[in-house]
Amino acid sequence: MSDSDPSRNGDDPPAPDSDDRWSQYRQRLIRLGQTSVGERILIAVSALLLSIVVGTVIVTAAGLMATCRSPVLTFGSTTLCYDPFYVFNRLFLGALGDPFAGGWSPLNAQFAATLRETTILVFTGLSVALAFRAGIFNIGTQGQLIIGALAAALTVLWAGSLVSGTIALVLFIPLGLLAGAIGGGLYGAIPGALKAYADANEVITTIMLNFVAVRVTLYLVRNHFADPTSQATQTRTLPVEGQFPSILFDPRTDFSLLALLIALVFVGGVYYLLEHTAFGYDLRTAGIQPAAAEYGGVDSARTILKSLTLSGALGGIGGAVFVMMTLGKFQTGIPSYGFDGITVSILAGNNPIGAVFAALLFGVLKSGSNVVAFATNVPPQLVGVLRGLIILFVAMPEFFRIIGRRLAAREPDSPAAATAGGGADD
Amino acid sequence: MCDTEVFNAYRHRWWDMSQRRRTFISSVGTATAIGLAGCLGGDGGDGSGGDGGDTDSDGGDGDSGPAARVGMVYATGGLGDGSFNDQAQTGAIRSADELNIEYDESQPEAVQDFGSLQQQYAQSSNPDYDLVCCIGFLQADALTETASQYPEQDFMIVDSVVEADNVGSYVFGEHQGSFLIGLMAAKLTSQDFSAGTGSTQSDSTSVGFVGGVEGDLIGRFEAGYKAGVKHAEEDVDVQTAYVGDFNDPSGGQEAALSMYESGADIVYHAAGNTGTGVFRAAQEAERFAVGVDRDQSVTKSDFSDVILASMVKRVDNAVYTSVESVVNDNFEGGAVNTLGLEQNGVEAVYGQQLGSEIPQGVKDEVSEIRQSIIDGDISVPTDPDNV
Repeated sequence: MSDSDPSRNGDDPPAPDSDDRWSQYRQRLIRLGQTSVGERILIAVSALLLSIVVGTVIVTAAGLMATCRSPVLTFGSTTLCYDPFYVFNRLFLGALGDPFAGGWSPLNAQFAATLRETTILVFTGLSVALAFRAGIFNIGTQGQLIIGALAAALTVLWAGSLVSGTIALVLFIPLGLLAGAIGGGLYGAIPGALKAYADANEVITTIMLNFVAVRVTLYLVRNHFADPTSQATQTRTLPVEGQFPSILFDPRTDFSLLALLIALVFVGGVYYLLEHTAFGYDLRTAGIQPAAAEYGGVDSARTILKSLTLSGALGGIGGAVFVMMTLGKFQTGIPSYGFDGITVSILAGNNPIGAVFAALLFGVLKSGSNVVAFATNVPPQLVGVLRGLIILFVAMPEFFRIIGRRLAAREPDSPAAATAGGGADD
Repeated sequence: MCDTEVFNAYRHRWWDMSQRRRTFISSVGTATAIGLAGCLGGDGGDGSGGDGGDTDSDGGDGDSGPAARVGMVYATGGLGDGSFNDQAQTGAIRSADELNIEYDESQPEAVQDFGSLQQQYAQSSNPDYDLVCCIGFLQADALTETASQYPEQDFMIVDSVVEADNVGSYVFGEHQGSFLIGLMAAKLTSQDFSAGTGSTQSDSTSVGFVGGVEGDLIGRFEAGYKAGVKHAEEDVDVQTAYVGDFNDPSGGQEAALSMYESGADIVYHAAGNTGTGVFRAAQEAERFAVGVDRDQSVTKSDFSDVILASMVKRVDNAVYTSVESVVNDNFEGGAVNTLGLEQNGVEAVYGQQLGSEIPQGVKDEVSEIRQSIIDGDISVPTDPDNV
């Protein structure tokens, strides 16, 4: 970590030309790293608009190349099959349930679907962000979510066989969330311990553990907890008391306001933990300057283990919410919320509060794609391209900003970084 | 700057679409969009853009419109899977061509999207969908819920049974098709036969079956196959293995190789992508294999030199049959339709490359037995334990 490129460049200067250019780029990145919140929002909005412009060009080009029964426009022998404006209209307005239409209510089914996706992405986004802040790349949120989901499902099913009625109503949801947190937390602790005590690269171990999670749950569900009445590989349906109640919204939407509120409480909790507690301070210091943190008395091994466990627990709770709100049972083939969480976290600049908005953008795109699928004949792959473009455009400035801030932390002009960097190189 | 006719046609369509989806776009947004879209038409616009709008409005009013409107909700693999979904789409296209219906399709991304797409079709009143086709057994749970909430809407599901008065379930007679495969395999292993890369060992009479995941569905394949073998030649030995996965080609290869090594001449698989390994093993051992679901000598043409035949499941016929019944007003909700040999729901299709080399005597016998099954003279078991 400490023998970073900038300081090495400073020590043995290569061709002066490239060095100049490099420091120019570096200065720009550092400047980008210092943008204010207002500027960042402005950048994000313009990036969003730009991605829509580029997307429009792509949809138009694809629409000209495709053949279809009823083209949108025909000129001569050329036909335009997809209407780019209508695609973006559906993708964004459709996901919100057409806010400009008459009789719009925020309780509409499509907006519920958007919030349903958002809720789970808030948890996975928080999970990744927390680890990122500690300087750990947790690519394993997906696996932790899967384990948490199964743990929650099995616990609630088991509890459902023992009690029912009012006790169940009060008890089952906290119980399921707790089971998810423990399952995901323990599963996150594995790569945490491997990194803390055996110096194993967490990127590799967490990626691998994702596969292990998929296979283990597949085995367990298929061989031990399968629903005998279903052809799908799934557990039995959870008792009603173990499923999130749909407050205000139509129960058909599989969305619960309660789950969203819990997600927001966790956002506040993680924010408080990171910014206002001693552990949060240790965690952030370890993320920015591990050597300095160690020097300052932070037990880095414990911090790594704790952060990955917490990160895993958040992913596991996301899985529990998915099981108890969306599906009502555990079924193999869990959507890639964990991987999306990585993008949500980057989009949010690893800030817990930003994760809410990033998750909402993701939720809009996910639920909007379904509206596009229903309303147009645009193939889902093309919608996937548009989604990817939007996310790429919005995330990239944020990504470079994070790099810029890291560079700034190592800037030789700042005395602390200079001594730390120089000392390590000597 | 922009061609007015295109402009109007576009606005017509835009308005029409908005109405159709019960949408109202804020006037500012519409104006901008039209302005830009009109320019898209550019100078090349000759006014024929109006066609788009017209075709669309046809769908809206029921009188002069299509015979029926069908909503297709595909399985999560999506179109282009070269298998299940593509075949379902073939059925929709055929219905559109022959029955004068119109269809809309949507490809859900994940399991939790099934319900909302089913509901969207069921809810839609303009256009009103006469039938919603749900492709794949994973939709069964969501459909059970949706069907009870929209009792007036007709649904159909492929490959699973949903017990509701407004759902037609379509399942296949896999056991019947597999019976014919078993018959063919037993006949061929009992004689000297070589074609393409493979040949049968004259000194052994043995065939094999590789299944994906053990269960009722794949059990039907196994039961039919075994019964077919037994029917043809009492003393032919059938080796069976389940890999435990539909997407494990190396597992399939291992299972099939061990069968070939212990004397099997022909291995039939009902194991999805795991079957690719069976074909690989057949090439390695220079024996034969039988494909499943589609004509795999076409879809897996690299192995057409060892694929004798394929047991084809005609998902397209299931879709077509259900649409036809809606058009003819005799859709039976709550009915479980088993599409067997008689309804052309399943077929034994000979391989593109090797089919012509299979002795005519064997083929004749296969079609004879096919008729006896249709006539009910032979009843094929569905449970491998009852063979």
